[in-house]
Amino acid sequence: MKKLAVLITSPPYSNLSVTALNYIETALKADIEIIGVFFYQDAVLHANNQVAIASDEFQAKNHWQKLQQSYQIPLYLCITAADKRGLSDEQPTNINPIFTVTGLGELVELSNKADRLVQL
Amino acid sequence: MNHLTQNTLAILNSKAPYSNTAGKDALDIALIFASFEQAPSLFFQGDGVYQLIANQDGSLISVKDYLKTFAAFEFYDIEDIYVCENSLIERKLTTDFHIEQIQVLSTQKFTQQLMSNNTILRF
Repeated sequence: MKKLAVLITSPPYSNLSVTALNYIETALKADIEIIGVFFYQDAVLHANNQVAIASDEFQAKNHWQKLQQSYQIPLYLCITAADKRGLSDEQPTNINPIFTVTGLGELVELSNKADRLVQL
Repeated sequence: MNHLTQNTLAILNSKAPYSNTAGKDALDIALIFASFEQAPSLFFQGDGVYQLIANQDGSLISVKDYLKTFAAFEFYDIEDIYVCENSLIERKLTTDFHIEQIQVLSTQKFTQQLMSNNTILRF
């Protein structure tokens, strides 16, 4: 089975989130294993519980939730990027618990284990 | 091209240094990979070429001067640094860079070099 790792750098209000989720969901249907999704730059806002996107717009959060629960895909949050944006593991109530708080070293690990690393 | 036999990473820098944190975010990724002995190749194109221009001082606009850290590339074994010649010409910039070892490549060679990597991250 081919292994894919994904780096997300777009925030939840960006349309690139839709592209990213479509990409991941399509890969899963094609029997590609997603070994992890790493959230960097503004993408860490995907983990922010307080982010509210208008209800008639795309709800990336629900898709991440489903991916994590149905396929146990690890969702990694870069703590340096998160801290800068008010998401601190010292105030973990802000952070959606489906995300794992980690550092950039995890991205190196993902890159090494995956057949391909894709940024969206 | 050594497709998939060796995991090579390219980081493409496309943004000017001080208006947003893209350059710093890219630098952090470059240094972390290098510290795991997987030094990436660095590419500078479009407004990204401004990150290489000498005599800039972020402190004048109260921005931490992350460009100074480029001087540590040699220590980190980051040796493959490429800049797009056309991007320099379009901006009327000279090759007065603040670090050495930079290779100025024509758009075609720059693209070829970039595509020889199996992972490209863009900032």
